[in-house]
Order: sequence, then structure tokens, then C-alpha cells
Amino acid sequence: MATKTPLRPSLQREYSSILIQSSHQIRRATLLRRPKRPYTFTQLITLSDGSSFLHRTTSPIPVYRSTKDIKNSPLWNPSSKKLLNVEEDEAGRLRAFRARFGRGWDAETPVEAEETSEDRKEESKTEPEDSLMDLITGYGQKPQKIKAASSSKKGTADGAGKAKGGKK
Amino acid sequence: MVLYELRTGAPAILRRDAQALFQSTRTCCRRYASSTATEELEQTSSFSTPDPSEDIIKNYDPIARSRKRSVQLPPSRYQFRPPKYYRGPLHPHQPPHPSDPSSREFIPGPFTLPRLEQTYESTIAPDLMTLTYTHFPPGYRAPEKSERLRTWRGDSPYFKNRPLRGPRGGDALRLLRKPITFRNIPRITGVTIHSMVKEAKEDSAYLHVAGMVMQAISNVKVKTHVAKSSVAQWGLREGKYISATAHLKQEDAFHFLSKCVDVVLPRIKDWKGLKGSTGDSSGNLNFGLTPEAVALFPEIEINYDMYPPKMIPGCNIIIHTTARTDRDARLLIRAIGFPFYGKLVD
Repeated sequence: MATKTPLRPSLQREYSSILIQSSHQIRRATLLRRPKRPYTFTQLITLSDGSSFLHRTTSPIPVYRSTKDIKNSPLWNPSSKKLLNVEEDEAGRLRAFRARFGRGWDAETPVEAEETSEDRKEESKTEPEDSLMDLITGYGQKPQKIKAASSSKKGTADGAGKAKGGKK
Repeated sequence: MVLYELRTGAPAILRRDAQALFQSTRTCCRRYASSTATEELEQTSSFSTPDPSEDIIKNYDPIARSRKRSVQLPPSRYQFRPPKYYRGPLHPHQPPHPSDPSSREFIPGPFTLPRLEQTYESTIAPDLMTLTYTHFPPGYRAPEKSERLRTWRGDSPYFKNRPLRGPRGGDALRLLRKPITFRNIPRITGVTIHSMVKEAKEDSAYLHVAGMVMQAISNVKVKTHVAKSSVAQWGLREGKYISATAHLKQEDAFHFLSKCVDVVLPRIKDWKGLKGSTGDSSGNLNFGLTPEAVALFPEIEINYDMYPPKMIPGCNIIIHTTARTDRDARLLIRAIGFPFYGKLVD
């Protein structure tokens, strides 16, 4: 056994008397101490699924009810769908919000395969925003690009410009 | 004896001078304990003594005598009291063995049959034996292994009678893994909870609190340890009390492990499990708990106010098993309910 057992004096061999090289042998008395043990109570542990078992503990409370334990922890129940951390987003509003305002880690959420057709329409309606990196890299060039686009547009579509102005 | 001495001494007296004569007379005066003892010996045997007389037998009534007593005898007259001190193997009054209930060092128990132990006996042990079984068809011969400690081979005459060479690649002689049968299924032999409290070198209160916490979660008395050597970088001085250890065995160990698995570990935030590379390559696994995790134990939680919150220690927990390799130990620990993460190293 690897654990160190507390050697009890009455079982210890006497090396001290052998080691001491004196003219006469000395053997002092060893006090046999009574082992001290903390007081323990029997406690009933009730797990979150209702199963229970008894154990000995220093805690004086007779019944311990746990809310989070092995029965409802996802690490121990990897196949349980109930415990999976899935957001309830049936209408797709949270996802739409993320698509519009999501930045960084939030923008990279993978598009789920099981999408409704309505969701897809919504996705197409909302313009895909530039990611954060694009904003940084294209900071200086952007006004020029817009200018170029507006100059090309001016010749072709005047009515659109008028309509815009009217809206404003 | 005396006569014999005289008889042998007589010619010497004749031959030697006065000094020799004086010496022989002195030997004559010497007292022999055995010769006097033979005179004192009784001729009659105790076996031939007659039975007690009739009236003694008639008057012998211990029940009436005890009834007649107004005050009870002190308990020391009824029960055996073992000696308080052990005075060495040659002392006539020896203390009883610690396994004797009358011994001062007797530790009673076990008081319960832990749930984990029952599970081990009924489920885990047979499973482990099945999992570690390797089938050898009849007539199979194991390939010859190279010798564990190598002999010195060569022409040098100095190789003769040399002690064997150590293993390749290091000094450590690894444990031999024997095929697992019903006799040597890996089992848990104990748990060691250890905590080195850095702050204890300035303020011993930290170590006291650590001891209290560890005793509360483990059900056993803790042992404190002093620093063996000074380390200037850590500000550690030799002889200072800095760490505490609790050694749990059988019942306590099982209760502690099941408590950990069922209640404590699932509540730790973002706990991934035991590291896959843990182990001392001879079947003892180790993991650590942060102070926040230690505070989640039901015993600490129930009166959390008792402990100064900044003094609750983190601790290392070593699980001792009889497995010869980490692989087997991991199989056992995993069956008990400890998850592992990362690359598994054997």
C-alpha cells in the first residue's frame, strides 16, 4: 500500500536503542497516544434526480439535497439533449440580432443547416455587414470607393437619386 | 559442587605457595545460588495438594458477596487497562496489539459499507477484469523478454561478479505489470489530500484553517509537515510548518471519492476532468482542486462562515491504487466516475 500508515509506537521497532553507542542501554518509555478521530455523522445525500445514498461525514446536517451534481452535469451526460446548452430561438430573432450587430466571436456563429425558408428570406433581406477586420483595413479607402460608385451611378439612374432625396 | 571444587583444588594446594592457598580458600567461601536453591525447593508438588475443605466450598458464594457490597467496585477492577507507556520489548508489562479493542491505539471501524465499495465489488471489479483480459490460445508461448537488470557482458575481467546494470534510459526500475486475474484486480487503497500553504510561513493561522478544512472534508485528522530545507526564492525557511496532509484509508477514502464525484466535481465551473498525463507511472493518480472548488464541499458549504474565506486552501488529491501502470489505474478511476481530458499518456 502506497499510503503512509501512521506507525504506532507499540509496533515500531527500536532502532534508537541500537543506534545509541553508549556505555549502558537507555530505554525511555513511549507514551501510547489514543488516536484522535473527528466525530462523524451519517448523512443522506439526495441527488437531483431523486436518488439518494448514505455516507459518513463531519457535517451535522442529516439530509443534503444537491441541485447540481453528476446526474445533471453535461460533462457526465454528454448524450443528454436536455442538458445541452442550446438557445431557444424558434423565431430566429436572436440570430437576426447577432447577424446585424454581432462582432468578433459572435459574428462567426455557424449557420445551422435546419433553417426555415422564412429565416432564409430574412437573411437575404438584411445586408451582410462588413466584419471588423474589413472595417479596419478599408478605413482610408472607403470614401473614395463611394465617390466612384456615386459618379458611375449618377449617369445611369437619376430617378433613384431623386426618389432618395424626396424621401429625405 | 562444593565438594567437587574441594577435591580438584586439593592437589593444587599442596603444590602451590601460600598465595594460591589463600585464593582457593576464597573460592571456597563463594556462594552458589543454585546450590542454595536446591535446598529451598519444596519436595511436595502442588498437584498433589488436597482439595479445599468442605466448609470453604460451602461458604463460597460470590453472588451473595457482591450483593452484600454497598458500593460497586471501581471499573478498573472489572476491565483490563493496558499500560499507558510502551517500555520496550523486554519489559514484562507489554501493551496489547493495536488491533485489540483494549489497546490504547485501537481504531474502531469500519462503521459503514460505502456505496462506492459496493459498486466496486459488484460491478467495477468484474468489468475491469473483463476489460483487461488478454486471450492466449492454447499452446501459446510468450516471447522471451530481455532481462530486467542486465548483466555485464564483455571481455573485461572486471565484469566478473559485478552487480547487475540498471535499466536503460534511467535509474528508475519500473513496476512489472502482471496479467490481471481475479487475484490482482486494481483497487483503491487510499487517498492522500495534501496542501502546501505558502502563507503559513508568515502567519500560522493559514495552516490551522487549512487543517480544519481538510479534516472537515476528509473525516480524518491531518498531519502537518515542516519544510525540509530553506529555499531563498520562496522565502522558505527550514523547520517552518508549511503543509498539511490527510491520509484516508478504506472507508474514509471511499466516502471521500464518491462525495467528490457525485456532488463536488460537477459543481466546479469549467472543470474538464483529470489531466490525461497524470500519474506517477506506477498506478497513483493525482489531481488538484482550487480554493473555490474546496469551498464547494458540502461540509464547508454548510458553515462557510466558520472559515475565513481567504484562508481556505486549495489541495492536491492523490488516489492510490494497486494498479501497476497508469493505464490500469485510469481505467479504474474512470469507472468510478472521474472524467479525463487531453492526451492520455501511459
